[in-house]
Amino acid sequence: MKTITTSIALAALIFGGAAVAGDSPAPKNAYLYIGWPNNGEVIRNNNFRVWFGLRKMGIAPAGIEKRMTGHHHLIIDAPLPPMDEEIPADRNHLHFGKGQTETRITLPPGTHTLQLLLGDYEHVPHNPPMMSQKIIVTVK
Amino acid sequence: MKKYIMVATMLAALIPGLVIAGDSPAPDNAKAYLIWPKNGATIKGGKFWARFGLRNMGIAPAGIEKKFTGHHHMIIDAELPPFDEEIPADRNHVHYGKGYSEGRVKLAPGKHTLQLVFADHDHIPHNPPVFSKKITIYVPAN
Repeated sequence: MKTITTSIALAALIFGGAAVAGDSPAPKNAYLYIGWPNNGEVIRNNNFRVWFGLRKMGIAPAGIEKRMTGHHHLIIDAPLPPMDEEIPADRNHLHFGKGQTETRITLPPGTHTLQLLLGDYEHVPHNPPMMSQKIIVTVK
Repeated sequence: MKKYIMVATMLAALIPGLVIAGDSPAPDNAKAYLIWPKNGATIKGGKFWARFGLRNMGIAPAGIEKKFTGHHHMIIDAELPPFDEEIPADRNHVHYGKGYSEGRVKLAPGKHTLQLVFADHDHIPHNPPVFSKKITIYVPAN
Protein backbone atom coordinates (compact mmCIF):
# COMPACT_ATOMS: atom_id res chain seq x y z
CA MET A 1 0.00 0.00 0.00
CA LYS A 2 2.79 2.33 0.97
CA THR A 3 4.52 1.57 -2.34
CA ILE A 4 1.36 2.43 -4.25
CA THR A 5 0.97 5.71 -2.38
CA THR A 6 4.60 6.57 -3.07
CA SER A 7 4.15 5.70 -6.74
CA ILE A 8 1.08 7.92 -7.02
CA ALA A 9 2.88 10.77 -5.31
CA LEU A 10 5.84 10.31 -7.63
CA ALA A 11 3.65 10.14 -10.71
CA ALA A 12 1.83 13.29 -9.63
CA LEU A 13 5.17 15.01 -9.14
CA ILE A 14 6.47 13.92 -12.53
CA PHE A 15 3.30 14.73 -14.49
CA GLY A 16 2.76 17.92 -12.53
CA GLY A 17 6.18 19.16 -13.54
CA ALA A 18 6.05 18.14 -17.19
CA ALA A 19 3.06 19.74 -18.83
CA VAL A 20 2.41 17.43 -21.76
CA ALA A 21 -1.03 18.48 -22.93
CA GLY A 22 -3.90 20.88 -22.50
CA ASP A 23 -6.89 20.49 -20.20
CA SER A 24 -9.47 19.26 -22.70
CA PRO A 25 -9.84 15.47 -22.60
CA ALA A 26 -9.73 13.30 -25.71
CA PRO A 27 -11.00 9.70 -25.86
CA LYS A 28 -8.08 7.25 -25.59
CA ASN A 29 -9.28 5.36 -28.68
CA ALA A 30 -9.72 8.42 -30.89
CA TYR A 31 -7.65 8.42 -34.07
CA LEU A 32 -6.43 11.30 -36.21
CA TYR A 33 -4.93 10.73 -39.64
CA ILE A 34 -4.38 12.30 -43.05
CA GLY A 35 -6.82 10.58 -45.42
CA TRP A 36 -5.01 11.93 -48.47
CA PRO A 37 -2.23 12.32 -49.56
CA ASN A 38 -0.67 9.03 -48.49
CA ASN A 39 2.77 8.91 -46.95
CA GLY A 40 5.35 8.96 -49.76
CA GLU A 41 2.86 10.29 -52.32
CA VAL A 42 4.36 11.99 -55.36
CA ILE A 43 2.06 14.83 -56.38
CA ARG A 44 2.20 16.25 -59.89
CA ASN A 45 0.15 19.37 -59.18
CA ASN A 46 1.53 21.90 -56.69
CA ASN A 47 -2.03 22.76 -55.65
CA PHE A 48 -3.69 19.74 -54.06
CA ARG A 49 -6.36 18.67 -51.63
CA VAL A 50 -5.61 17.38 -48.15
CA TRP A 51 -8.30 15.35 -46.46
CA PHE A 52 -8.49 15.19 -42.65
CA GLY A 53 -9.55 11.92 -40.99
CA LEU A 54 -10.84 11.74 -37.42
CA ARG A 55 -12.40 8.77 -35.69
CA LYS A 56 -14.31 8.58 -32.41
CA MET A 57 -14.10 12.29 -31.81
CA GLY A 58 -16.04 15.23 -33.24
CA ILE A 59 -15.34 18.56 -34.90
CA ALA A 60 -16.45 21.89 -33.48
CA PRO A 61 -15.46 25.34 -34.71
CA ALA A 62 -12.83 27.31 -32.74
CA GLY A 63 -14.35 29.08 -29.76
CA ILE A 64 -16.98 26.39 -29.18
CA GLU A 65 -16.29 24.53 -25.96
CA LYS A 66 -17.78 21.07 -26.26
CA ARG A 67 -16.43 17.89 -24.69
CA MET A 68 -14.60 15.47 -26.98
CA THR A 69 -14.48 17.89 -29.90
CA GLY A 70 -11.82 20.06 -31.48
CA HIS A 71 -10.69 21.47 -34.80
CA HIS A 72 -7.96 20.53 -37.21
CA HIS A 73 -4.55 22.17 -37.59
CA LEU A 74 -2.25 21.24 -40.45
CA ILE A 75 1.46 21.47 -39.72
CA ILE A 76 3.52 21.91 -42.85
CA ASP A 77 7.30 21.46 -42.87
CA ALA A 78 7.59 21.98 -39.12
CA PRO A 79 7.99 19.89 -35.96
CA LEU A 80 5.10 19.52 -33.51
CA PRO A 81 4.59 22.66 -31.40
CA PRO A 82 4.43 22.44 -27.57
CA MET A 83 1.42 20.37 -26.48
CA ASP A 84 0.43 22.65 -23.60
CA GLU A 85 0.17 25.92 -25.52
CA GLU A 86 -1.98 27.48 -28.21
CA ILE A 87 -0.90 26.19 -31.61
CA PRO A 88 0.83 29.01 -33.53
CA ALA A 89 -0.96 30.43 -36.57
CA ASP A 90 1.42 31.00 -39.47
CA ARG A 91 2.23 29.51 -42.87
CA ASN A 92 3.57 26.36 -41.22
CA HIS A 93 0.60 25.95 -38.87
CA LEU A 94 -2.74 26.27 -40.64
CA HIS A 95 -5.87 26.53 -38.49
CA PHE A 96 -9.24 25.18 -39.60
CA GLY A 97 -11.33 26.96 -37.03
CA LYS A 98 -14.47 26.94 -39.17
CA GLY A 99 -14.76 23.19 -38.64
CA GLN A 100 -13.43 22.20 -42.07
CA THR A 101 -12.54 18.56 -42.74
CA GLU A 102 -10.47 19.14 -45.88
CA THR A 103 -8.48 21.88 -47.58
CA ARG A 104 -6.51 22.79 -50.67
CA ILE A 105 -2.90 23.85 -50.28
CA THR A 106 -0.22 25.05 -52.65
CA LEU A 107 3.38 23.97 -52.05
CA PRO A 108 6.51 24.60 -54.10
CA PRO A 109 8.22 21.65 -55.80
CA GLY A 110 10.26 19.53 -53.40
CA THR A 111 9.83 17.34 -50.37
CA HIS A 112 7.41 18.42 -47.66
CA THR A 113 6.08 17.09 -44.39
CA LEU A 114 2.43 17.22 -43.34
CA GLN A 115 0.99 16.41 -39.94
CA LEU A 116 -2.41 17.02 -38.36
CA LEU A 117 -2.83 18.19 -34.78
CA LEU A 118 -6.24 18.61 -33.21
CA GLY A 119 -6.70 21.62 -30.95
CA ASP A 120 -9.51 22.46 -28.56
CA TYR A 121 -11.73 25.58 -28.62
CA GLU A 122 -8.69 27.61 -27.55
CA HIS A 123 -6.33 25.94 -30.08
CA VAL A 124 -4.55 23.98 -27.33
CA PRO A 125 -3.96 20.24 -27.98
CA HIS A 126 -6.05 17.74 -26.01
CA ASN A 127 -5.04 15.37 -23.24
CA PRO A 128 -3.88 12.96 -24.56
CA PRO A 129 -2.83 15.08 -27.58
CA MET A 130 -4.40 14.01 -30.86
CA MET A 131 -1.93 14.04 -33.70
CA SER A 132 -1.57 12.17 -36.96
CA GLN A 133 1.46 10.41 -38.29
CA LYS A 134 3.81 12.89 -39.94
CA ILE A 135 3.87 12.11 -43.65
CA ILE A 136 6.30 13.04 -46.40
CA VAL A 137 5.09 14.08 -49.83
CA THR A 138 7.00 15.11 -52.90
CA VAL A 139 5.66 17.84 -55.13
CA LYS A 140 6.99 17.56 -58.68
CA MET B 1 -38.01 46.60 -68.21
CA LYS B 2 -41.70 45.85 -67.85
CA LYS B 3 -40.93 42.25 -68.67
CA TYR B 4 -38.34 42.00 -65.89
CA ILE B 5 -40.75 43.41 -63.34
CA MET B 6 -43.37 40.91 -64.41
CA VAL B 7 -40.94 38.01 -64.07
CA ALA B 8 -39.75 39.26 -60.69
CA THR B 9 -43.32 39.57 -59.44
CA MET B 10 -44.14 36.10 -60.68
CA LEU B 11 -41.09 34.63 -58.97
CA ALA B 12 -41.89 36.40 -55.71
CA ALA B 13 -45.41 34.98 -55.84
CA LEU B 14 -44.13 31.49 -56.52
CA ILE B 15 -41.26 31.17 -54.07
CA PRO B 16 -43.00 31.79 -50.73
CA GLY B 17 -45.39 28.93 -51.58
CA LEU B 18 -42.54 26.65 -52.50
CA VAL B 19 -40.77 25.78 -49.25
CA ILE B 20 -37.60 24.04 -50.28
CA ALA B 21 -35.15 24.35 -47.39
CA GLY B 22 -34.50 25.55 -43.87
CA ASP B 23 -33.40 29.01 -42.78
CA SER B 24 -29.67 28.39 -42.30
CA PRO B 25 -27.67 29.54 -45.32
CA ALA B 26 -25.11 27.37 -47.10
CA PRO B 27 -22.51 28.69 -49.56
CA ASP B 28 -23.52 27.98 -53.17
CA ASN B 29 -20.33 25.98 -53.69
CA ALA B 30 -20.79 23.77 -50.60
CA LYS B 31 -20.69 20.07 -51.31
CA ALA B 32 -21.27 16.92 -49.25
CA TYR B 33 -20.04 13.61 -50.60
CA LEU B 34 -19.11 10.13 -49.50
CA ILE B 35 -15.35 9.69 -49.63
CA TRP B 36 -15.82 6.03 -48.87
CA PRO B 37 -17.45 3.68 -49.74
CA LYS B 38 -17.54 4.33 -53.46
CA ASN B 39 -20.69 3.87 -55.51
CA GLY B 40 -21.00 0.19 -56.49
CA ALA B 41 -18.62 -1.08 -53.79
CA THR B 42 -18.97 -4.63 -52.47
CA ILE B 43 -18.27 -4.87 -48.75
CA LYS B 44 -17.69 -8.30 -47.26
CA GLY B 45 -19.20 -8.67 -43.79
CA GLY B 46 -21.14 -5.41 -44.09
CA LYS B 47 -19.20 -3.58 -41.35
CA PHE B 48 -17.25 -0.49 -42.31
CA TRP B 49 -16.35 3.12 -41.55
CA ALA B 50 -18.16 5.49 -43.85
CA ARG B 51 -16.07 8.62 -44.45
CA PHE B 52 -17.92 11.88 -44.89
CA GLY B 53 -16.62 14.53 -47.25
CA LEU B 54 -17.54 18.19 -46.99
CA ARG B 55 -16.32 21.13 -49.07
CA ASN B 56 -16.57 24.86 -48.42
CA MET B 57 -18.43 24.42 -45.12
CA GLY B 58 -17.57 23.34 -41.59
CA ILE B 59 -18.77 20.93 -38.94
CA ALA B 60 -20.31 21.96 -35.63
CA PRO B 61 -22.00 19.64 -33.14
CA ALA B 62 -25.83 19.62 -33.05
CA GLY B 63 -27.20 22.49 -31.01
CA ILE B 64 -24.35 24.87 -31.95
CA GLU B 65 -25.62 27.70 -34.13
CA LYS B 66 -22.80 29.00 -36.29
CA LYS B 67 -23.00 30.33 -39.85
CA PHE B 68 -21.94 27.91 -42.59
CA THR B 69 -21.66 24.95 -40.25
CA GLY B 70 -23.78 21.90 -39.57
CA HIS B 71 -23.50 18.18 -38.93
CA HIS B 72 -23.75 15.07 -41.07
CA HIS B 73 -26.71 12.72 -41.36
CA MET B 74 -26.58 9.46 -43.23
CA ILE B 75 -29.69 8.21 -44.97
CA ILE B 76 -29.58 4.43 -45.28
CA ASP B 77 -31.97 2.61 -47.59
CA ALA B 78 -34.39 5.54 -47.69
CA GLU B 79 -35.36 8.53 -49.81
CA LEU B 80 -34.30 12.08 -48.95
CA PRO B 81 -36.48 13.51 -46.18
CA PRO B 82 -38.27 16.90 -46.60
CA PHE B 83 -35.75 19.78 -46.67
CA ASP B 84 -37.80 22.14 -44.53
CA GLU B 85 -38.17 19.87 -41.50
CA GLU B 86 -35.97 18.28 -38.87
CA ILE B 87 -34.36 15.13 -40.29
CA PRO B 88 -35.97 12.08 -38.64
CA ALA B 89 -33.81 10.05 -36.26
CA ASP B 90 -34.23 6.31 -36.81
CA ARG B 91 -32.30 3.39 -38.23
CA ASN B 92 -32.63 4.82 -41.73
CA HIS B 93 -31.60 8.35 -40.72
CA VAL B 94 -28.48 8.32 -38.60
CA HIS B 95 -27.45 11.60 -36.94
CA TYR B 96 -23.82 12.50 -36.26
CA GLY B 97 -24.57 15.29 -33.83
CA LYS B 98 -21.25 14.98 -32.01
CA GLY B 99 -19.56 16.47 -35.04
CA TYR B 100 -18.20 13.24 -36.48
CA SER B 101 -16.68 13.09 -39.95
CA GLU B 102 -16.83 9.27 -40.08
CA GLY B 103 -19.43 6.75 -38.98
CA ARG B 104 -19.32 3.03 -38.26
CA VAL B 105 -21.98 1.24 -40.30
CA LYS B 106 -23.22 -2.34 -40.03
CA LEU B 107 -25.44 -3.63 -42.82
CA ALA B 108 -27.13 -6.98 -43.47
CA PRO B 109 -26.35 -8.90 -46.68
CA GLY B 110 -28.02 -7.40 -49.74
CA LYS B 111 -28.16 -4.19 -51.72
CA HIS B 112 -28.16 -0.90 -49.81
CA THR B 113 -28.22 2.81 -50.53
CA LEU B 114 -26.29 5.50 -48.63
CA GLN B 115 -26.69 9.26 -48.91
CA LEU B 116 -25.41 12.14 -46.78
CA VAL B 117 -27.51 15.15 -45.84
CA PHE B 118 -25.89 18.02 -44.00
CA ALA B 119 -28.12 19.90 -41.58
CA ASP B 120 -28.01 22.83 -39.19
CA HIS B 121 -28.04 23.07 -35.38
CA ASP B 122 -31.73 22.09 -35.39
CA HIS B 123 -31.19 19.12 -37.78
CA ILE B 124 -32.89 21.03 -40.63
CA PRO B 125 -31.13 21.05 -44.03
CA HIS B 126 -29.54 24.29 -45.17
CA ASN B 127 -30.64 26.69 -47.90
CA PRO B 128 -29.66 25.57 -50.47
CA PRO B 129 -29.72 22.01 -49.10
CA VAL B 130 -26.34 20.27 -49.03
CA PHE B 131 -26.55 16.55 -49.75
CA SER B 132 -24.46 13.92 -51.46
CA LYS B 133 -25.18 11.72 -54.39
CA LYS B 134 -27.01 8.55 -53.35
CA ILE B 135 -24.72 5.57 -53.72
CA THR B 136 -25.49 1.86 -53.91
CA ILE B 137 -23.35 -0.75 -52.19
CA TYR B 138 -23.54 -4.52 -51.92
CA VAL B 139 -23.00 -6.80 -48.94
CA PRO B 140 -22.52 -10.39 -50.10
CA ALA B 141 -24.23 -13.29 -48.25
CA ASN B 142 -21.79 -15.07 -45.93
